[in-house]
Amino acid sequence: MHIPENYLSPVSCAVMGAAMIPVWIHAVRKTNKEMPKEKIPLLGAGAAFSFLAMMFNVPLVGGTTGHAVGGTLIALLFGPNAACLAVSVALLLQALIFGDGGILAFGANCFNMAFILPYVGYGVYRLIKGRGQAGNARTYLAAAIGAYVGINAAALCCSIEFGLQPMLFKDAAGNALYCPYDLSIAIPAMMIPHLAVAGVVEAVFTVAVYALVRKTSPDLTYERIRSDEPEDGKKNRLPIFALIAVLIAACPLGLLAAGTAWGEWGADEIAEVITKGKTLGYTPAGLEKGWSLNVPMPDYALEGMNEVVAYILSAIIGVALLVILFKLLSLAMKGRRKAA
Amino acid sequence: MIPAWLKTEERIAPPRDGGAFALRSIKSLGGVMARLRVQRGRNGRLRIPPLVKLLLLLALIVTLSLARHLLLLLAIAALILGYAATLPPRDLVSILRPAAGAALLALLLFLPAMLMHPAGRMNNLIVVGKIFLSVIAVNCFNRRTQWNELTRALRRLHIPGVFIFVLDLTLKYIVLLGGLIVDLLTARELRAVGRDRKKYRSVGGVLGVTFLRSTELSRETWEAMCCRGFTDDYKGL
Repeated sequence: MHIPENYLSPVSCAVMGAAMIPVWIHAVRKTNKEMPKEKIPLLGAGAAFSFLAMMFNVPLVGGTTGHAVGGTLIALLFGPNAACLAVSVALLLQALIFGDGGILAFGANCFNMAFILPYVGYGVYRLIKGRGQAGNARTYLAAAIGAYVGINAAALCCSIEFGLQPMLFKDAAGNALYCPYDLSIAIPAMMIPHLAVAGVVEAVFTVAVYALVRKTSPDLTYERIRSDEPEDGKKNRLPIFALIAVLIAACPLGLLAAGTAWGEWGADEIAEVITKGKTLGYTPAGLEKGWSLNVPMPDYALEGMNEVVAYILSAIIGVALLVILFKLLSLAMKGRRKAA
Repeated sequence: MIPAWLKTEERIAPPRDGGAFALRSIKSLGGVMARLRVQRGRNGRLRIPPLVKLLLLLALIVTLSLARHLLLLLAIAALILGYAATLPPRDLVSILRPAAGAALLALLLFLPAMLMHPAGRMNNLIVVGKIFLSVIAVNCFNRRTQWNELTRALRRLHIPGVFIFVLDLTLKYIVLLGGLIVDLLTARELRAVGRDRKKYRSVGGVLGVTFLRSTELSRETWEAMCCRGFTDDYKGL
């Protein structure tokens, strides 16, 4: 779901970026108010979950690949505002270091995965779970449906952003300048795989990790963070970090999914992509001559390197950087004072 | 009874006293020296013997600077960053700030080369990355090892006692003399009102006093050590 560089026109990128600015401001303010200062470093662990989830590519119907995002999970653990920040930072890291998602398209990617996903996912979760104390089964069901709806809402936004491009930006010959597929192709191409596979993966991932956290560190759920209840002593962070370690070790499984995610082809690939039985036949001008940044590790690997090892090392570096970043952020942010 | 001249309100606005770049830089230098507390290192939960830590650090830095294969570089980066991620936030700031400074300086030095030879850009960036990681590694070690343990580790490596002794004393004196410089300049500032055109005269004075004080301190230390039966053998603090 990461929109690469030059698939969106610069104007669309600017609009999406501008739309994100008030969201980020709101998210930072609310997080400052809601989160106790000592919990902010743990947000780094949440961002790490999201980062790792995005590395697990699963093969989808139609020869493309997709991945979970984990935005709803972070929203369940730390609240949608903190989730917005965590996913944004994870996306920034991916764009700057690993070339996953464009720098110009950063605003659009954040809009889909850091804004729509956690807020919709958490909203649906609250709706199903209801106000009062809910049983375990209902809570997990609510989490699963929230995650499923959240990632699909994000995919829908993403496909609409793709689909609007050929309608708005064309050259003299009628060829699209940027993404060449209009709404009638982009929406089914994005939505069918996400409804069928990626949504389920996201729901399973969310419920599994959420259940683990509720069992081992019950103080780390958004409901508990918001309420001023005194903390009971029962918490054990070790399983969370052990799970991160296991995910890092297992992430080369994401390499098994061959093929490129829909809408993430390189400029050399796109002319050959088969849609409705025929290839596109040309490379959109904006893609061919577009701006691109030489990132240190494109696609989580370096040339002439063992792919698996490079993938694992990328995961370690990414997770470490996220944890360090949020630890530094926790110093800069004021955080909520503990209720006296 | 308050005399009348005390009751009248006087507004003295001394003319802004600018300049004296040299004085200000000496003062900030002294401040940095005084803040250089080498004893700040704390041990983590996992206690590795300082000697092992020191050897590991040396091995890591040598490997890092010799590494040419990108995979090896990446592995070292993962190791160092992964370790740094386990440190508490306050330590991280004091580890990352000098590292970022060093990397920035290296980048600045490489900038002309990078602009003139775009082909070598990747190599230059790798060197910058190596510098960044080395400084992080050294700082992590610094934050996680107490200074006296470090001198003991050096002693185990059969480094001459005199050398370690000088090192120990130097570090102590840097802090002491840094404090002295700050005190002298603060005293001078407090006594000077308004515009002072002879500021530069005190530069020599401050440095001279600092030098005199340092020789005095070293003589006193030496005498005190002789009185306590110092036999030229030094085992670390």
